[in-house]
Amino acid sequence: MKRLSVTPWLFAAALASAGTAQAQAFAKPDAGAVVTTPQVRAELVAHAPDGITPGKPVWLGLKIEHQPHWHTYWKNPGDSGLPTTLKWTLPAGLTAGDVVWPTPSRLPIGPLMNYGYEGTLLLPVALNVPADFDAPTVRLKLEAEWLVCKEVCIPESGEFTLELPTGASTAMHAALFDKTRSAAPRTVDKAEATAEVRDGALIVKVAGLPAAWSGKKIEFFPETAGVVQNAAPNNGRWSGGVWTTTLPLDAQRSAGPATMPVVLTTAGETAGAWFDMKVTTPWPPVAQVAAAPLPSLGNAAVTTPASPGAAPLGLAAALLLALMGGALLNLMPCVFPVLSLKVLGFASAASRPDARRKLLAGGLAYTVGVVLTFVALAAVLLALRAGGEQLGWGFQLQSPVVVAVLAALFTLIGLNLAGVFELGTVLPSTWAAARAKHPLADSFLTGVLAVAVASPCTAPFMGASLGLAMTLPTAQALLIFAALGLGMALPYLAASAWPALARALPRPGVWMAHFKTVMAFPMFATVVWLVWVLGQQAGIDGAAALLAVLVALAFTAWALGSPTLGPKARGGFGAAAALLMAASLFWAAPALRQEATASVPSQGDQWQPWSPERVAQARAEGRPVFIDFTAAWCVTCQFNKRTTLADAAVLADFESKRVVLLRADWTRRDAAISAELARLGRSGVPVYVVYAPGAAGPRVLSEILSPDEVRAAIAGAPA
Amino acid sequence: MKRFLVTTALALALAATASFAAAATVGQLAPAFAATDVNGKSVSLADFKGKHVVLEWTNPGCPFVVKHYGAGNMQATQQDARAKGVVWLTINSTSTDAGDYKAPPALASWMASQKAAPSATLMDADGKVGKAYGARTTPHMYVINPAGLLVYAGAIDSKATSNPADIPGATNYVKQALAESLTGKPVSTSTTRAYGCSVKYSSGA
Repeated sequence: MKRLSVTPWLFAAALASAGTAQAQAFAKPDAGAVVTTPQVRAELVAHAPDGITPGKPVWLGLKIEHQPHWHTYWKNPGDSGLPTTLKWTLPAGLTAGDVVWPTPSRLPIGPLMNYGYEGTLLLPVALNVPADFDAPTVRLKLEAEWLVCKEVCIPESGEFTLELPTGASTAMHAALFDKTRSAAPRTVDKAEATAEVRDGALIVKVAGLPAAWSGKKIEFFPETAGVVQNAAPNNGRWSGGVWTTTLPLDAQRSAGPATMPVVLTTAGETAGAWFDMKVTTPWPPVAQVAAAPLPSLGNAAVTTPASPGAAPLGLAAALLLALMGGALLNLMPCVFPVLSLKVLGFASAASRPDARRKLLAGGLAYTVGVVLTFVALAAVLLALRAGGEQLGWGFQLQSPVVVAVLAALFTLIGLNLAGVFELGTVLPSTWAAARAKHPLADSFLTGVLAVAVASPCTAPFMGASLGLAMTLPTAQALLIFAALGLGMALPYLAASAWPALARALPRPGVWMAHFKTVMAFPMFATVVWLVWVLGQQAGIDGAAALLAVLVALAFTAWALGSPTLGPKARGGFGAAAALLMAASLFWAAPALRQEATASVPSQGDQWQPWSPERVAQARAEGRPVFIDFTAAWCVTCQFNKRTTLADAAVLADFESKRVVLLRADWTRRDAAISAELARLGRSGVPVYVVYAPGAAGPRVLSEILSPDEVRAAIAGAPA
Repeated sequence: MKRFLVTTALALALAATASFAAAATVGQLAPAFAATDVNGKSVSLADFKGKHVVLEWTNPGCPFVVKHYGAGNMQATQQDARAKGVVWLTINSTSTDAGDYKAPPALASWMASQKAAPSATLMDADGKVGKAYGARTTPHMYVINPAGLLVYAGAIDSKATSNPADIPGATNYVKQALAESLTGKPVSTSTTRAYGCSVKYSSGA
């Protein structure tokens, strides 16, 4: 009569689990309503105290008794698992309702979370009896499938039959049905649950829960699968009779319903509270890659949004842009002073015999130094990215320690140019001799230094080619960075190859000493800017700590390197300087390591922090969106922010067109922003993006932003 | 002080689940990873730049994996994908302390016995790759496009059951996503709820 269906695939599954799960049990040929496996005892049960009579309650149910630690699943099983399914075969006229799922429990497994049941479970189903129903007995047939898991999972199924007398009472399982009914989730009078989607989370508010629940820990069970992270810690809190919790959205969310049925429970209550929770804000669209990958460069491809302003670059074009961008780096205030002095030196050197060959060798050594340093930096970046780090170009400046070291370096160069100390006095004479003896090594190191000082300056052309570089195979990416280095070294190389160029400069004279001193000031200006960047990263304490270190450093440089001090004075001041240096470092180190907790949007309050949800929400409201991907250490970004983005006409247009202004601040490392930049085909800032109302995708504007371009883009004009 | 303690506790609790909170998201860059295959060779996602890549989470001890291998569905999907130049990486994130952990040679011979045809079968016993992708179930499927963006995450097909008889009537989401992405169309079904057994991450994780 009774039969447990053990199909071949199930048998294979049990065998495949390598002995950890015992092979499937076969049915014992006894009563028809019970199926027993090593994991559960399942039974078809009924509750009809007044017989099968129209208008009287008739309940059927599958009773599952689990072996200890085994469980089956709720209607939303959570991160894995499957709900139990029931398929009825009933006499004509009778219909079965849906399962009235009892309040579930949370079942954590490793970093995952399931919702289900252990112990004894009844899944009750109401039987609808029509008014004209008339038969002496009722024969019920049920095919049920359930997944039972402990560490391993075993899909099981069974066929059950049960015959009930129509005219007599069936109440053998009355207690179980009563208990299950009293434990079923129920609606609560005058209670209401609402939710908002904000910053990648569902913010749930529940008002009107029973007074007995107040202040207690509440468990939250969503009936809709695939919306929130099931395993997120419970951060629910009570405030004035309202319970609130913040549930992070599933990164791979597959649903965005307008109402979400949910069940709430608390310790000491057998029945959960059921709500049809309304989600009052629009859902961000479930992510989808809008544009097709465009094949280019052999088997490599980059994806950029389908907008004319952001067409992918070919490798040749990218190399050319990298070369030009590199050459432009020489004009940046952080590089110009160092290199201009070097080149001026050629003028005097060129007059000496044998100079040409030596100069050219030095120029080549410098070029190798620059190119190798760029390639090494790029290799580090690519290696970190391959290791799973979300980084982009400019990553060097996302660390407060690197910014502090650069500030110290610029301070020393500035002091040296200003004549506060001479390197020859500070460095051991053997070092100076070594420099003189190995001019090539000296030139090479100058190249390394040039890249170090140039790294804060992002040339206008670099954004696009470095963005491309990150999506290329490693060899091609490194080639781009090599081109960048070559471009930077070119002017110096040219001057060393053709000393005539250097000779065209004014004749050496006392003006050179003045020029050297004047060049100290761009250096100090760069220090001001680096201190400001560090202030963004580490707060005002960090900036003050850095300034203190710089003061100690300046004193030390003077004490050890001033040409005007005698040996005795130098000894005394030197000892004081060492103490001062040690004290300031001791005091500053923790402040530099500590990152500021929150970055406050510095300019006006119409700028809001960027998040994908905020963009989706604004677009859903039909408002244009302007996004400024920026960082404190990015010069071009700061320039645009103070010119175009502060332009009166642009601001008026922002206001009149109700543009949502979002700022993505990449001053510190931020994986979400890095990922968004990658999606736009970029790996560095600045990037300006406009979503015009009705436009299919984002439009990327140029890095050197003009007011006309911004105004045209937000008006939705074609590029 | 109490507030501080509560905040600290909350921060610690958040940190504990951070591995899953930062899981891969469709439409964004797929997390880079490197892992060792069953033959001891290192394989990195970056090796396949410019190609479509399918990631398949597996565990031979799971009946849902057996459903799709036993019926030949997974192998057919693998062959179909590789014939189109797609790279297929099968990843096993089962922890060594799980009952159904298979050492590399055992996994290799199981895959061979199934006539499976992935480009490589990778070991991820510490669950690092699995957690980076938010892999929850076996099977759990991901499709990455040539630009390195995740274009599909979820189930192998549309019928969440353990019964192989349901395979012919189900929509194979991986085949569908590849067909669309290979012809330059957006992937119409880009996120679904994966179904199957839990990935057996180390319980200490």
